Amino acid sequence: MKKHKKITMALAVATSSLMSVTPDVHAEESADIGDWDIDAAVLYYTESDRVSAFEPVISAKKQIDTDESISLKLTLDSLTGPSANGAVPSINPQTFTRPSGNNGYTTSANETPLDDTFKDTRIAFNASWEQALTRMTRLTLGGNISNEYDYLSLGLSAVVAHDINQRNTTFTTGVSFANDTIEPEGGLPTAFGVMQPSGTLQPRQTDSDDKTIFDVLFGVTQIIDKDSLFQVNYSYSQADGYLTDPFKVISVVDGVIGLPIIEDATTNLSQVVYENRPDSRAKHSVFTQYKRNIIGDVLDVSYRYMFDDWDINSHTLDFRYRLKTSETTFWQPHLRYYQQSEADFFRPYFISGQHPGEGTDNVYATSDYRLGEMTTYTVGLEYGEKYHDHGWSISGEFYLQSISEPTKKVGQLVQQELYPDVDAFMLRFSYDF
Amino acid sequence: MASPCEILVETRDHVLAKKLIHIAANEAWRIERKFSRYRDDNILYQIHHACGGPVEIDDELALLLNFSEKCYQLTDGMFDITSGVLRRIWKFDCSDNIPTQKQIDALRLLIGWGKVSWQQPFITLPEGMELDLGGIGKEYAVDRAAVLISQVSDLPVLINFGGDLYATKPPNSRESWQVGIESIGGLNKTGIIQVKSGGIATSGDARRYLERDGIRYSHVLNPKTGWPVQGAPKSVTVASPRCTDAGFLSTTAMLNGVAAKSFLEAQGVPYWIQN
Repeated sequence: MKKHKKITMALAVATSSLMSVTPDVHAEESADIGDWDIDAAVLYYTESDRVSAFEPVISAKKQIDTDESISLKLTLDSLTGPSANGAVPSINPQTFTRPSGNNGYTTSANETPLDDTFKDTRIAFNASWEQALTRMTRLTLGGNISNEYDYLSLGLSAVVAHDINQRNTTFTTGVSFANDTIEPEGGLPTAFGVMQPSGTLQPRQTDSDDKTIFDVLFGVTQIIDKDSLFQVNYSYSQADGYLTDPFKVISVVDGVIGLPIIEDATTNLSQVVYENRPDSRAKHSVFTQYKRNIIGDVLDVSYRYMFDDWDINSHTLDFRYRLKTSETTFWQPHLRYYQQSEADFFRPYFISGQHPGEGTDNVYATSDYRLGEMTTYTVGLEYGEKYHDHGWSISGEFYLQSISEPTKKVGQLVQQELYPDVDAFMLRFSYDF
Repeated sequence: MASPCEILVETRDHVLAKKLIHIAANEAWRIERKFSRYRDDNILYQIHHACGGPVEIDDELALLLNFSEKCYQLTDGMFDITSGVLRRIWKFDCSDNIPTQKQIDALRLLIGWGKVSWQQPFITLPEGMELDLGGIGKEYAVDRAAVLISQVSDLPVLINFGGDLYATKPPNSRESWQVGIESIGGLNKTGIIQVKSGGIATSGDARRYLERDGIRYSHVLNPKTGWPVQGAPKSVTVASPRCTDAGFLSTTAMLNGVAAKSFLEAQGVPYWIQN
């Protein structure tokens, strides 16, 4: 019988070259490149009795080439509802003048003074362009503009990511710069200027001011094994310029009875002074994250430590677990714990006679709860369905902010809760086209 | 493809499954349109009607021709894409209609890859000669569909174009795909092949033969003699990493006639023979 040659080897070579080239006709079909991947989301946020926000977001990403993409994002924010003005509650009703100086609002007895003027619409646009510089290095350039009635923010950023170690290790370096301009209605108040009755001359310095924020970031992402990765980032942020909140005031109270001093008896206007913050802030933060794939589920835990030269330090612990319930559906519980210490110039109120004089801008004070000692808890749940080319998800989060009361309070303030807990609910619906 | 085609996708995602099926079907139709001998609007028609002149061809056909040339060399001329012209006289309609040696000799002048001038990207075919990619087209379509599907999904998919098939990976629900081999000869003893992944192709068709004076002529034609191969099995099924390889090996085994089994043994590939 004829002896047969073994031809399978030569055949394998021939078929691999046969299958190696994509026929021209597919150039247009494999054009997932060039399609816009569009994602739309709506966020509804509401704090009980306070601010609520409605925020539609539309984002789009286009893969220009296998190593080049652009992303665009448009956000519309509509905020309404009252927010705390920083003054203390009283056993008597109190009146305050609106930022515009044109009219006032009254807070009932034993209620936290809330400024209900707060109503704003913000429109923000972000664009970024990612491009491979070399086979192992990617550059992302970004720009953003955000505008609201009295605020304009412009920013630029650049991030370089470099892979080594067979792409198991990624080094990231980034810088960003932003310039914000604020021009509130009625102008910027003078530091520690005393609020005057509506319709009269208010203590104002200028119409507008700005601040610059410069950030740098260094990060390392290490793939540990095929199912897990670890990331460490350090970032430094330097803000300079006008960092004060022009809408926040500090009450001046009687040192014995704790009642706000009456500034204007005819209108019940309490004596409050405008706050003043340092004109620079340097923040350092370290962020670590661990992600692990557990048979289709994804565990994502992270911790952030931040400290700054305002003497605030904070810890954030975040936990998410994405539970895959089928090929296409998932549930994701989310827990977050945040704790911060207060700024060294945090003053819930001033005792009459002890507050800095108008225009003393080298002394700093704020009663803004966001710079006080606080702990927040977030509990959330997300449900989503993901298909090959589309998907949607809905998530709900409950948020509780617990702000520490001052340890020593005078007079009637002992019975008052200066910083009641704030709870909020957030609902987000997202659709990926 | 003139035969039933099916795509099995194991998933609960209907949308994705549909998409994958469309990808495979579109690729099959594309390849059929492009390389069918029965159309007058494709490159093959242009080559066949160039009156002995050169025709410039695209990369995909060039790759197929290079591959066919390699097959021709590996089989010492037994696998020849110019042998399709024999079908003009050999009609395997179960009759006793055997062509004469004179007819066969006349056609043999139009057979032989060696007579074709192939200098990429130009092919020149002597007048009257024809290219027939039917011997590899279906298997190639299976492999191409598999490539396209794997570009968008890593789901377990079984592509079956008229009995030539490819499995991207084992199904999640069981260890392997179960592929039945149609029994030939009325014994109704259907074989089951367990396929984890890779290509499977079958050559042989019990319904296509001629019979005269007690001699049964199979539809497998020897391009050198112009006569059906003697003693070829009724069907040969081969498993190989790619469907195109499997198809070539099963066809070549048939061309080896009685030596089909020893040929396959020498190749060291899994095979199933029905005699």
